Amino acid sequence: MNTSQISGSGQSQDLPVPLHIDRSWLEQLNNRLEKGGPWGDWRLAQLAIQGEEARLVTSFDELQCLKHLQGLSPLPHQLDTAHKVLFEMSGRAILADEVGLGKTIEAGMILKEYMIRGLVSKVLILVPASLVLQWVRELSSKFGIPAVAQKKAYTWHSDVVVASIDTAKRDPHKEFLLKQEYDMLIIDEAHKLKNKKTTNYQFIQKLRKKYCLLLTATPVQNDMSELFNLITLLKPGQLGRQGDFATNFVVGKRQPKNQDQLKDELAKVMIRNRRGEGPVHFTKRNVSNVSLQLSPEEQALYDGVTAFVKDQYKASGGNLSSMLSLVTLQREVCSSRDAVFLTLVNLSKKIPDESPLTAKVWELVTAIKAIKANTKAEKTIELIKQMNEKVIVFTEYRATQEYLLQYFQTHGLICVPYRGGMNRGKKDWMMDLFRGRAQVMIATEAGGEGINLQFCHHMINFDLPWNPMRVEQRIGRVHRLGQQKDVQIYNLSTSGTIEEHILHLLHEKINMFEMVIGGLDVILERFEKQESLEKSLYKLFLESDSNDEIRQKVSTLGQTLDQIKRQVDYESETVREEEA
Amino acid sequence: MSMSPQHVQEHMMTYLESTECQIIEKSPFHVTVKLSPQADKQLTNRPYYWGFVERTGVEPETLSFTFVFDPEQYDKNEQTHTDPQSQPQQDGILSRYFGTAPMVPRIGPGRIQREDVTYGSSRLQQIWNAARQDGSALYLFEQPAALQRETLFSAAYEPWLGVCFKAEMACDVKKEELHFVGISLVSGRIVSHFPERLKGLTMSPRLPENIHIQPASISLSQAAGSLESYMTRLLAEMDYGWAEQARERLSEELAVIDIYYEDLLKEPDEEKLVGIREQYGNRRSETTWQYEPKVHLSAITCGLFHLRSAR
Repeated sequence: MNTSQISGSGQSQDLPVPLHIDRSWLEQLNNRLEKGGPWGDWRLAQLAIQGEEARLVTSFDELQCLKHLQGLSPLPHQLDTAHKVLFEMSGRAILADEVGLGKTIEAGMILKEYMIRGLVSKVLILVPASLVLQWVRELSSKFGIPAVAQKKAYTWHSDVVVASIDTAKRDPHKEFLLKQEYDMLIIDEAHKLKNKKTTNYQFIQKLRKKYCLLLTATPVQNDMSELFNLITLLKPGQLGRQGDFATNFVVGKRQPKNQDQLKDELAKVMIRNRRGEGPVHFTKRNVSNVSLQLSPEEQALYDGVTAFVKDQYKASGGNLSSMLSLVTLQREVCSSRDAVFLTLVNLSKKIPDESPLTAKVWELVTAIKAIKANTKAEKTIELIKQMNEKVIVFTEYRATQEYLLQYFQTHGLICVPYRGGMNRGKKDWMMDLFRGRAQVMIATEAGGEGINLQFCHHMINFDLPWNPMRVEQRIGRVHRLGQQKDVQIYNLSTSGTIEEHILHLLHEKINMFEMVIGGLDVILERFEKQESLEKSLYKLFLESDSNDEIRQKVSTLGQTLDQIKRQVDYESETVREEEA
Repeated sequence: MSMSPQHVQEHMMTYLESTECQIIEKSPFHVTVKLSPQADKQLTNRPYYWGFVERTGVEPETLSFTFVFDPEQYDKNEQTHTDPQSQPQQDGILSRYFGTAPMVPRIGPGRIQREDVTYGSSRLQQIWNAARQDGSALYLFEQPAALQRETLFSAAYEPWLGVCFKAEMACDVKKEELHFVGISLVSGRIVSHFPERLKGLTMSPRLPENIHIQPASISLSQAAGSLESYMTRLLAEMDYGWAEQARERLSEELAVIDIYYEDLLKEPDEEKLVGIREQYGNRRSETTWQYEPKVHLSAITCGLFHLRSAR
């Protein structure tokens, strides 16, 4: 800058803080004087000044972002959180709200506020790959922040970049990123950074950042040291040295001591809002299990498939990995004959013609042909006609979906499909149709992003996934913030089949339909240290000889899950926010 | 400070009129406008198109917009005005099965895009920024009353340097102030609220007839220096409680970091120690970056204002 031109310039020693003077204006003015213009428009100059006045930040600690955000009405706990992070925590915090309370909204508000104040311009947001687009979309639609999804190397140069952490930590990206200075770093699903020794952790530690937000619903998954590591990433020393932390706060691996003191310390870096506390109100979940009796033909098919699958399992010597398509068959038979048929056809293509299996497969196909009606579909129609409101029907199988679409339409119901494979535009269109004219949405996909169906409060589980997380995702589509009514959940299950046991496990044992589980993923992660729940279930069914045996084994499984749940509950009490 | 829809509209209209856009339709709730080339370049982010126009010399086709300032009122008005008969007919079969399908939007030239503009929208920010760019350096004359042109004596005009400064007080939080100050190049007198001196005057880039400009006794850089020292004095008189508090926070944070690394820095393994030292240094400098109080002074606009001397 051209300090030399200034004579008698005021020196910054007059101020108790460093003063930076940008003198480019004088340089510009001199330039134009030399060239005789071009000169600016007075009206525009006045407009520029008015614009500056309109967005001037006149107070150190008053939230500005709200008046910039039309159409966003944050909940009280989200406002509180933003306020605390900005003005009490100086912009470095762990946002640890339970699932569904809007951590993204909180992070977006904080980011927006810093951007308005001109304290943040370069931002890096690291999230799991599957959430990148969702973040970009939310930031631009809800907050007017022009975020860019990282795709090519040059996108790193954008001001606000959303990228997957697994991409970012690899060269050549890593090398580039470590040379940058980020005004703000946001990490979603931050519990994945619990281990100090991982490359993810070390990479984040090295990134140069001014403000930093770590988002996680589950700050403690397995033991207390995870929390310590997370905080160390944010503010090393906040909980003292590693050794101090262990002696001061930890008894067992998962049991803290000096709880009050720990809570105080945690409250300085972490905010955890919980469901069922404060003003956030979730409506109830009402669950009805609809038990059905299969028709004799359907029962025959079910028994046939079960026997076939078990035989094959024995023949394979208990090797589960080669059995996957057969296990699928076992699950599909609870859904619809169409689903079974498709899998059988695919199976028969793979078996050589002369194999004895072919005969068995054809036997099953004959059994399918004998079936004239679908008991579940009939019941579903009956339910839908009774409620006479919008309803979403979930099934695991594409073939069942097609069948139901056609079946419902012949019965005069307007329905739309929803699948994971649809592109974004089609998904949005289906949502619009469902919001508008259609009464029924038949969906095969619940996870992923984008389906928020608060306007609908009935859901029917036509069949049940064996993975409880998927069940929770399904429910989460309708039972979320903004749902005004109690949510009615109908589970169809056919008695005397696997389904009955699965439902028993999910409903009675982990009680997952009624309680709002934030920590389900934690429970599952702990349980699945040995083997995935789905796999355990497959084995259990394939290896049991009688219904009673299945019942007994399922009950043991349920007890194990229940124990883990109690443990998790106990632990999360201790990381709970003090004001709660 | 927030802004009412009327206020937003005023700002938008000032911009559109100053950039010579063609106003097609206007109501208290909206304006439909065909942008001028200047506004199109500034607002629509089409550098490739404008590059093409400049290289090939074709007649440029600028975009049109309907900017809506009060969406609720505008929609209400639209509904009462549009004849339901004029709605395009839906395909009967499609709509029976799939509900109301969205119409395919009209694209290409002639299409008018609707955009809601409110206080927080990026379009308004863009307009302010464009205005700042275009109005950054000024050279203006006070326009005399009609009488002046007819008098025998030419009027004396005094040159002033006017600068609108923005002061930003920043630590981990931030506050801003605007100061539009002016200095006479003849007398060296400083006016702290320059807009008041300009109040009621019509300013124009045209040199009026029958005037003469008084010779400056101080140079532009001297004047700039005086304004700067004036601003520095002004800033020095502020309450610096905020900075003290920020420094306190900073030293607390640094103490926490020092304690944490104290033991780690005793690491006997030389290789590991290098890494730890680096981490320690980084963490300290990050923290300083975050909390250290500072003041930044820059200019929104500046210019030479030739004003009729006060007698």
